[in-house]
Amino acid sequence: MKSLLLASATALVLALPLPSALAATPNDQLVIGLSMSNVLTLDPAATTGREGMAVVNNVYDTLIRLDAVERTTVHPALAESWQISEDGSQITFQLREGATFASGNPVTVEDVLWSFRRVLSLELSGAGPWAVAGYTVDNFDELVTAQGNTITVQLAQPGDPQLLLYMFGKPSNTAIIDSRTALENEVDGDLAAAWLTTNSAGSGPYVVRSWNANDTIILDRFDGHWGGEAPMRRVLIRHMPESQTKRLMLERGDLDVGLGLSVPDISALSTNPDVVVQSTPSSGFYYLGVNMKDERFANRDVRLALRHLIDYQGINTTIMPNYGVLHQRPLSPGVVGSLPDPGYELDVEKAKEHLAAAGYPDGFTVELLSLNEPPFLDAATSIQGTLAQAGIRANIVTGTGNQVYGPMRERTFQMIVRRGGGGAEPHPHSNLQALAINIDNSDEAEHLAGGIVWRTAWQSEELNEMAAAALLERDPQAQQKMYEDIQLLYEEVVPALQPFSAVVDTVVFRADIEGYQNHYGWTTRFDGVSKDR
Amino acid sequence: MGRRTRRPAKCRGSSNVHANQLRTQLTDASKFVGSVVVTLFGLLVLTFFIGRMMPVDPVLAIVGDEASSATYERVYRQLGLDQPLYVQFFRFVSDILRGDFGVALLTGRPVIEDIARVFPATIELGTISIIIGTGLGVPLGVLAAVRRNKWPDYTVRFFSLIAYSTPTFWFGLMGLLVFYAFLGWSGGSGRVEIFYTGLVEPITGFLLVDSILVGEWDVFWSALRNIWLPAVVLGLNSMAYISRMTRSFMMEQLSQEYIITARVKGLSQNQVIWRHAFRNIRVQLVTIVALAYGGLLEGAVLVETVFSWPGFGGYLTSNLMIGDMNAVMACTLLVGVLFIALNILSDILYRVFDPRTRSA
Repeated sequence: MKSLLLASATALVLALPLPSALAATPNDQLVIGLSMSNVLTLDPAATTGREGMAVVNNVYDTLIRLDAVERTTVHPALAESWQISEDGSQITFQLREGATFASGNPVTVEDVLWSFRRVLSLELSGAGPWAVAGYTVDNFDELVTAQGNTITVQLAQPGDPQLLLYMFGKPSNTAIIDSRTALENEVDGDLAAAWLTTNSAGSGPYVVRSWNANDTIILDRFDGHWGGEAPMRRVLIRHMPESQTKRLMLERGDLDVGLGLSVPDISALSTNPDVVVQSTPSSGFYYLGVNMKDERFANRDVRLALRHLIDYQGINTTIMPNYGVLHQRPLSPGVVGSLPDPGYELDVEKAKEHLAAAGYPDGFTVELLSLNEPPFLDAATSIQGTLAQAGIRANIVTGTGNQVYGPMRERTFQMIVRRGGGGAEPHPHSNLQALAINIDNSDEAEHLAGGIVWRTAWQSEELNEMAAAALLERDPQAQQKMYEDIQLLYEEVVPALQPFSAVVDTVVFRADIEGYQNHYGWTTRFDGVSKDR
Repeated sequence: MGRRTRRPAKCRGSSNVHANQLRTQLTDASKFVGSVVVTLFGLLVLTFFIGRMMPVDPVLAIVGDEASSATYERVYRQLGLDQPLYVQFFRFVSDILRGDFGVALLTGRPVIEDIARVFPATIELGTISIIIGTGLGVPLGVLAAVRRNKWPDYTVRFFSLIAYSTPTFWFGLMGLLVFYAFLGWSGGSGRVEIFYTGLVEPITGFLLVDSILVGEWDVFWSALRNIWLPAVVLGLNSMAYISRMTRSFMMEQLSQEYIITARVKGLSQNQVIWRHAFRNIRVQLVTIVALAYGGLLEGAVLVETVFSWPGFGGYLTSNLMIGDMNAVMACTLLVGVLFIALNILSDILYRVFDPRTRSA
């Protein structure tokens, strides 16, 4: 009996069709590994993280596209062309003829207006820049209009139309949704918010075929895309939270592109000829922030002392490779008016002088918040060490996002190492909005602007005014000069946020992948990617 | 008073005896159901309040850290977080009683749908692991007990100690390095090799089964190539535990007098070990195997992370991280029900293996 069982089991195994041998990823599919923990929705207007943005950006089109490398270059997308009026009060877009959504519906100006209005009506996270630019549900219909194939956007408040233009290249703010398909799936007047969370209705080069949270996302090529067929028939995105798994799979060639690898793994891969390590400047900075509500930090001399207590060189050569590059100014490298670094250095003696002048010759004790992950904690530890040299005893308090950011949101923190600072739009105002401008410093005013400066309670009226004036300046040379002056003033008044490194993004891909270009604003496109095999 | 009513019943004959038995059984059953309900409710209360006390803000997970306070407030109210804790709790419980477990923040889909997707992945992995763990652990444990303080015993104890005390994620990573990166015997991470993803629509949710059902043999082989390594990693861990327990159970039995009697009677070594000693440890074994299995089904977060296995443990953990109580509560309930079910199962097996429990 037993031997019969054994024999039949063996026969069964032998009878099964044998697996076919597989070496590398298929020639016409792009396989990407990343952590999907932050991909909570496919609704462009609700997307916040970089991984979600990468998906949404390939499924939806915007009117224009911001170049991935040259920060001030703009490409046509669903808008064939655009003009900024002489007086800078309006932008007109000519919608591309013949573009269709994946559903087959034509892309119309009604879809464009509906998609924009939807972001504002739903108050989703993508509504932020619209609100900052002065648009509301009430004034939208008056300011954003369409005639024939032309869409006219009036500025809601005096400002730089160039800055507003950049917003039309960001899918979280201005992705064009197929309104007919969306409205067919509307429930209780939700503008398809529920449906679009898990489904897509775009005109981009890819269509979401399936999305299993924290597992896989499969994008199929949209053959009718106005820009022509993408070389890759399918994009497979797999949830890979563990960096070493991504590394092994890249080495084996089972993965084409790996995002979010840890620095040790990137360093190990950088000598491997089979893969390419692509590091590109991204948006934002790593910075040390203090709370001006704390009387110690309200003292300019103390902030000056802190400026000299960061080991900029040391942090950037030992901790930051593949995370960031040395940077001390508040403007992203490459934007209009961006000045070279002022060359701050660790100078304990100078710091001690400033501390003595501020009345703290023996230093003080302070709580330093940091995420409990690299490079934050490593940078915080370095800063803790250099602060100690001047007698400032920093106790590092670590935690996950909310534990660390909560006290800052409530303006009760003392000192923090974090990342941020705008820059997703290639305009100096984007940085200043995040690092310098604070219109109303009262406790009730959190709704104004992005709020990071407000959270530090730092305010410079003069800087606010200069930033507002620079935004209105229509003469490019004059505007550039104004942004240079703003940076010099920023240095002079000593900010509550001191950048020490500019964020870089590092992507690792197989050497036979061509055309993969990481986008500084997280809007990487896959339709230019091909395989050289 | 009680005596009076009971006495006549006793005299009325056998039908009443049956009625009494039935009554006792019903009381037992209602007691059991009652205890299950109380256990599950207690579990819900604890999970909810601990979850809400954690310094995790589900709103931030949705809107991002730099959202304006208008957006923040809107989502805060939408999630019902502006309500007092007890109101939130009772809302949760009443929804659950109506069979509505809500929508998970992480996926935007009903929690039930999510669990139906991730749980089979865990059952599939857990079941193979426990088969490996038991299949290796029990014979090794018996071997160690029989050859006590000889080299087989030392070897088994040494390796089970290593298997038990080494972190599973380390085993997982090393396994990937050796069997995937160097030897290419394993398919790497995920349930199937990545280009087979999405080819088989779930029927049972068990990929090994579904791929056979639809005749996608390539997918089946790929799934097999992918599951064996994480299953062995988890299985080794269970093996270590099961073999150590088996060894100590067996040693206890082997020192009993009936074993000596059996040997004196001239029974063969095999008969003494398997017919007599082993028979008597089956009940205890069932308990520890059931517990180990329950632990595996609860999800092995670290192994799931290393192998990018889209299972239950990872789902529960990521929801806990963003403070999504809808999903966490549903998962907790499931784990509670699971352990109760395993308890019942092992009770039933007790009765099969141990005649003494049958009369009770």
